[in-house]
Amino acid sequence: MKRISRSVLAIFAGTLFTAPALAQSADEVINQAFYPYKAGVPTVPGVDVGVVIDKNNADQFKAVLDPVTYDLLKKGVHPSIEVGPTDSFEVHPKYVEATRQNIGKVKIVGGNLEGYTAGRPFPALPSSSDADAGRKLAFNFRHTFSAGDNVQIKPFYWKYRNAATGKVDRTVEFQFNFLNFKHRVAEEPIPAVSPNPNDYFRGIYGKAFSPQDVQDTQLMILAFDQDQKASDGYLYLGFQRRVRRLETSQTTDAFLGSDLMIQDFEGYFGRVAEMNWKFKGTKTLLMPLYRHNEQKLSDEYEQPDGYKFVAMTGQGECFPNVTWQLRQVHELEMTPVDKSSPVGRRVMYLDSQTFVAPRTLIYDRADKLWKSWTIGHTSTEHHLPSNKGKFAAIYDSFGMFDVQNQRCTTGQFRTEIDASKSPVRMFTPQFMRSGGA
Amino acid sequence: MRIAGKASRCLAMGLCAWGMVLHGSAVQAGYLGEWRINGFLDNDTRLRHEVGLSKTRNTLRLEGDREFDDLGAFTGNALTFKLRGTYDGVYDLNSEDYGRDAGGPICLEDTSGFIPEGCVAHGRGAFGGNNPQYGVFNGVPGIGLGQFGFDLANNPNDGMIVLGEPLHRPGGGVAFGVPVRPCDVDSRGCLSGYMDGSENDLRFPEFADGDRLDWLREVYFDTSLMFFSPFSDNEQELFLRVGKQQVIWGRTDLFRVLDVINPVDFSRNNIYDELEDIRIPMWIATAEYRMGPVAALQDLNWQVVWNFDKFRPNSLGQCGTANVILDAGCFFRGMKNLWDNGGTVSNFALVPPILGQPGMAMTTDFGPNQVGIREAKLPNWTLSNTQIGTKLEGVLGDVSFSLNGLLYRSQLPSLHGGSEGPPAISPFANLLLPVDLQLPELLPGVGQYNTEPRQVPYLIAFDIAFPRVKMLGGSLDFAIAPIKTVARVEAAMTWGEQFPNTLRPSLYSESRVARYVVGLDRLTFIPFLNANRTFLFSLQIFGQHLLDHELEQRQLGQVGMPDWKDNWIATLFIQTWYLQDRLQPKFVMARDWKAGAYAMQPSVDYLLSQNFKVSIGANVKFGDGAQKFNDCRDCNPYPPFTAYASSGGPLLEAGPIGLTGFEPLGRFRQGPLGSSDKEDEVFITLGYQFF
Repeated sequence: MKRISRSVLAIFAGTLFTAPALAQSADEVINQAFYPYKAGVPTVPGVDVGVVIDKNNADQFKAVLDPVTYDLLKKGVHPSIEVGPTDSFEVHPKYVEATRQNIGKVKIVGGNLEGYTAGRPFPALPSSSDADAGRKLAFNFRHTFSAGDNVQIKPFYWKYRNAATGKVDRTVEFQFNFLNFKHRVAEEPIPAVSPNPNDYFRGIYGKAFSPQDVQDTQLMILAFDQDQKASDGYLYLGFQRRVRRLETSQTTDAFLGSDLMIQDFEGYFGRVAEMNWKFKGTKTLLMPLYRHNEQKLSDEYEQPDGYKFVAMTGQGECFPNVTWQLRQVHELEMTPVDKSSPVGRRVMYLDSQTFVAPRTLIYDRADKLWKSWTIGHTSTEHHLPSNKGKFAAIYDSFGMFDVQNQRCTTGQFRTEIDASKSPVRMFTPQFMRSGGA
Repeated sequence: MRIAGKASRCLAMGLCAWGMVLHGSAVQAGYLGEWRINGFLDNDTRLRHEVGLSKTRNTLRLEGDREFDDLGAFTGNALTFKLRGTYDGVYDLNSEDYGRDAGGPICLEDTSGFIPEGCVAHGRGAFGGNNPQYGVFNGVPGIGLGQFGFDLANNPNDGMIVLGEPLHRPGGGVAFGVPVRPCDVDSRGCLSGYMDGSENDLRFPEFADGDRLDWLREVYFDTSLMFFSPFSDNEQELFLRVGKQQVIWGRTDLFRVLDVINPVDFSRNNIYDELEDIRIPMWIATAEYRMGPVAALQDLNWQVVWNFDKFRPNSLGQCGTANVILDAGCFFRGMKNLWDNGGTVSNFALVPPILGQPGMAMTTDFGPNQVGIREAKLPNWTLSNTQIGTKLEGVLGDVSFSLNGLLYRSQLPSLHGGSEGPPAISPFANLLLPVDLQLPELLPGVGQYNTEPRQVPYLIAFDIAFPRVKMLGGSLDFAIAPIKTVARVEAAMTWGEQFPNTLRPSLYSESRVARYVVGLDRLTFIPFLNANRTFLFSLQIFGQHLLDHELEQRQLGQVGMPDWKDNWIATLFIQTWYLQDRLQPKFVMARDWKAGAYAMQPSVDYLLSQNFKVSIGANVKFGDGAQKFNDCRDCNPYPPFTAYASSGGPLLEAGPIGLTGFEPLGRFRQGPLGSSDKEDEVFITLGYQFF
């Protein structure tokens, strides 16, 4: 009895001492994950708001530039980067709360997440000593809130450019829609679209409106919640008026002739299982995150509501003309599991607060730099009035620079988080069959 | 290539126009108020081996759509239109082959041995009274024998080709002259409402039929009614589309197993244009109940299709134009001319064995209303003649599927002949036999053929019909992840299709038909050819099985249904992309297994600019070419005159014994690939988006 009492006491005492510690730990984890700049934004001597970095002073800022951006600046290909203020990109409070509720409950079992409900699966800062840190970051990226629960990008202008001459070879007009079937936090239905017999996690739907050779082409990819399972893919070709199933393990073809592969969408659009992941460290680097409404915007493609698109700059006008800000980022190296892939490795910089991927460096199988991938993000709070209060770091511009072939594809678009514009019925083959969006 | 000076200037002007287009400013899809508008200009120019210019088709397309505000509970309201107008300059630039100057006088093969030249001019056949070389078989000079012979004034030897040219010579089989000039230039053999295009109709096909408004290619209205049903917690959708439209079923390319709601215009470019461009849009109402996820199904839709348009058959191409699939249009026109005006038929009447070798046959002059095609019986518009179908389509696990059912009219013609054909005049009418054979075909007692027109079993006199057909089928597709391949399967069974059948007194019979396609698509890297872009390999096997096939071996060969009981066609499509997809080499190959026929089409598409695309390529066929089948010369419809007794056939009974020839039924064995064996072409197509 005495021994039992001592044990109970010990357990009780343990509870008394550890419970506050765990609670503090959860707060700490949440604060580190979602409010990294609460105590102050990162500062690096000389990297002040308004400073313009170009080939003449790039060496001075080498430590805050990814190696390819540094190189492109030094060569004058990317003529300059203006430093903007570092903002805290507030993540939707419901996503943060879901993360809090899930802390410590998520595991990777057999390549899939187990115990995951919503939010960021592994909110704790990554550790170099954790052999699985890379994969955890990959799952965090997979479940980021960058596009909300539903998002529409329309209009979406892609320009295929000759970087050497600046000539625009083609302009393709798209519409893209994204829908989270599961792990929804902000917009009804929460937490999931139901029923969902195939257990899809996320859907992406795209349609090309022009020019004639790609007109009415539609693409839909439906990713399963279980990462180990290959996604369902469908393609509708306007000249065939028929929906064809796609084999989705092949995502490294140039998408409709652009410099993007399907794998490049959103930074990386593939399964976690298709890559080997290696966490390379956390750094403070300049990244193309900015306030859309405060940029020097383009007058091209006049919109009825006065919305203006991000302008392009640099050699061949291959780079979004936006300010970059100092961000805490996780560097992640990815090597394809499929050795026939033309990609040798990808280096992705994940913004630690939002887990968006503003910069990715893509190397070929000979480990020569192939492409430099920039996705500009803005906070919803500095964008369309209708986006205000949605608390997401939304896609706002892009530039994919093919270093080897001196080509690039740029994207100018309008992103809107609005569930009514990405309805569930859009993410079916039948919707495509009837002509789509 | 025979292009006159005027034509050369036209072509030069055309190229100048294209030059202007090339140097015009780049344009994007345009907006006109609330309307989204696209405009396109295409030119397709083809040169055919040993012919010259076979097509210089200029097509103007204008397409638009606009969305409308919600109308009460109806959302997603949109109106879409597609206009198309075509001018094919070949009828002006190469009228010697296609147009008002085409054809000429013909000489028809004769294997009788009476004709040293081996052929006789149209109108100078045996029994017609116009060719003394036939001796007693000439009949009474200037009059002929019985009802044989015809008036050359009504059917002159001009503006014709020999049936089967240029695929084959008659080869001892039947052949006859076929008028090839447009129907306003030469009305002989034109089938009213079916194959009766004037020169302008051929030049401007979308404006050929004032009632059909083909220039208004598509116009339809979309709307959706969103509602909650007691069967689901989710909002569901009733999608409606009404108007002139294409409704596409199935999952395979090229082959129309399920995709049979709209008829197809093969006259545009045989089977080689995209189906989207050659389906003939019909006035159709579709309703889709989009249930979304149901039980284990990720998606489920139920569609009802009502084709309320007046029936329309496939356009098989009018004889005298460049694309006459299976050469059917020429057979029909020649046969119609035979019926209306009479005509000369190669190697028809058997030379009595006492005078010649077995198999020798005299080219014979028939009179009007004796053999041939009387008319095409196109179904009128009645409610019962409209067509209705339904489809259940969904996704179950990793498999997408559909189940389809359709009640429709065959878009392919069926020839009803013999005992179900038109009442025909016997060429032997008024001829007296020395004995009373007591045949029902003979007038009693006197041994004289009835002079009254009547339906004659096994007689090659036909009407064209379009029978009712029922179809049940389905399709599915799925990915085979381990081999990175997508599989597509489509299968259907039909009831009511009709096929030629020389075993039957009506010369046709019905057969249930099972059709299926298996397709495999794979994207594959070939690094030494294209380092960073895959090649698409798409393989399809199409199979057809006639469940009620009839074929018998008789004394001289096989008789019955010329269509193969089982046959397969395989296609292989390979494509890759270079220069940001601006350069697209493609290769298509097809093989018709039983016909031993092949087609290859290598081509390259190149996008010269945002709006300007050029394609060059070739279309080459090779293989066994023309095929033979029982041609019913031996069917003995008028015993004993037409008996093949010397070859073992019955003297007094009708029915074939297996005499074969290329015409008319060999076409069903050689298929569309073999039938176009001599139609090798090179082509260049230009496409420009101007708005």
